[in-house]
Amino acid sequence: MTFDWSVVWQHRDALAAGTAMTFALTVATMAIAVPAGIVVAVLRLYGPAPLRVAATAYVELFRNLPLILVVYWAFYVVPILTGLGLSALATGLAALSLNVTAYNAETFRAGINSIRRGQSEAAMALGMSRSQALRRVVVPQALRRITPVLASTWVSLFKDTSLVSVIAVSELAYVSMQLRAQTFRVLEMLTAMAVLYWLLGYPQAKLVDWIQRRYQVTE
Amino acid sequence: MDFDLAVIADNWRFLAYGVLVTIVLSIVSGATSLAAGLALALLRLRGPRWLRPLIVLYVDSMRAVPVLVVLVWTFFALPIVTGLTMSPFTAALIGLTVHLAAYAAEIVRAGIESVRPGQTRAAVALGMSPAQVMRRIVLPQALVRMLPAFGSLLSITIKDTAIASVIAVPELMRQSETVAGQSFQPIEVFTFAMLLYFVLLFPVTRGVDAVYRRVAHLGRS
Repeated sequence: MTFDWSVVWQHRDALAAGTAMTFALTVATMAIAVPAGIVVAVLRLYGPAPLRVAATAYVELFRNLPLILVVYWAFYVVPILTGLGLSALATGLAALSLNVTAYNAETFRAGINSIRRGQSEAAMALGMSRSQALRRVVVPQALRRITPVLASTWVSLFKDTSLVSVIAVSELAYVSMQLRAQTFRVLEMLTAMAVLYWLLGYPQAKLVDWIQRRYQVTE
Repeated sequence: MDFDLAVIADNWRFLAYGVLVTIVLSIVSGATSLAAGLALALLRLRGPRWLRPLIVLYVDSMRAVPVLVVLVWTFFALPIVTGLTMSPFTAALIGLTVHLAAYAAEIVRAGIESVRPGQTRAAVALGMSPAQVMRRIVLPQALVRMLPAFGSLLSITIKDTAIASVIAVPELMRQSETVAGQSFQPIEVFTFAMLLYFVLLFPVTRGVDAVYRRVAHLGRS
């Protein structure tokens, strides 16, 4: 059995493009999921009863479904249901965003809830409205507790982008597996894929550790 | 848009087999990763010093690499390296165990470290050996504290079994894909699959919460 590791170097451009797509998907999903998560969390905490129920149902639904199923569902079902012909990339982005928004909503809700009630009570006693109390007193404190969890979610998301490879979005996993099929160099390409993800993910994981240590809140 | 449930009624046995495989794969890989995680955490905390950085490297690597990559490598590349051929189920089992044991090891480590050092000191003062201290004093308290995190990990395990569809393990996701492909009715099939997964997963987290509330006082110290 001979191994030809030069195929990895030969196809470095394709692999680099896949990596760029992985990063782009992660950034784009977070750009959507963070504001959306805030909206859902606020609806869940302070919204009128029907919206509160809807937000809770949404969060519980997406926390109890495998992401790969959501990706398939979005790809096969949404075009039929809505008549929209979205590209695989847009579909993958939508599925990822739906999933991460649910997790973010939980993170924001937990962060806001972790700030003692006395804080918002004192703020309102000083004459602030509910939204002012939220915006000026609660959220700035909650951010410190939210940031480490959000960083952890980022790393999970980075890994989960590999799942949109099943609908042929050209991120790193898809590109690697296509190259494997083209070159028949199974061990080399798959090991290269694993090593690339490791090289990208390990520093991110260590950065998250640092963020968690730095922003740790001890009562 | 009409919902044609006949496709589900016709293929329920096929899909039910998928549910069975999902459950079996989840339980077995959950159990093996738990056992492996426990062993790794104990080795990291009480084992030889030189082993510690290796375990840390392993745990951090599993945080960096996606499950899909681990499963695909285990099924396609491991046989090339080792010469062993394995069924998709075995490969999924190995891959999931390797990936999840890292998370389990972290949960166990956090649980063990959360038990006050005074407990250990008192046990040692009473003449217990290190193994006895761990077995009789630390672990019983730590295991109770780990329950919510383990529940979360079980939930993640069940969701990760769906990724094993990529290496053709006949679990629910894969069976749903097959039925949807053959019947050209993806809406009914995938929506039904979503329902099944939700029904599988929702009680797991709620159940673990309920059990924990009953036994939480046992983890007090």
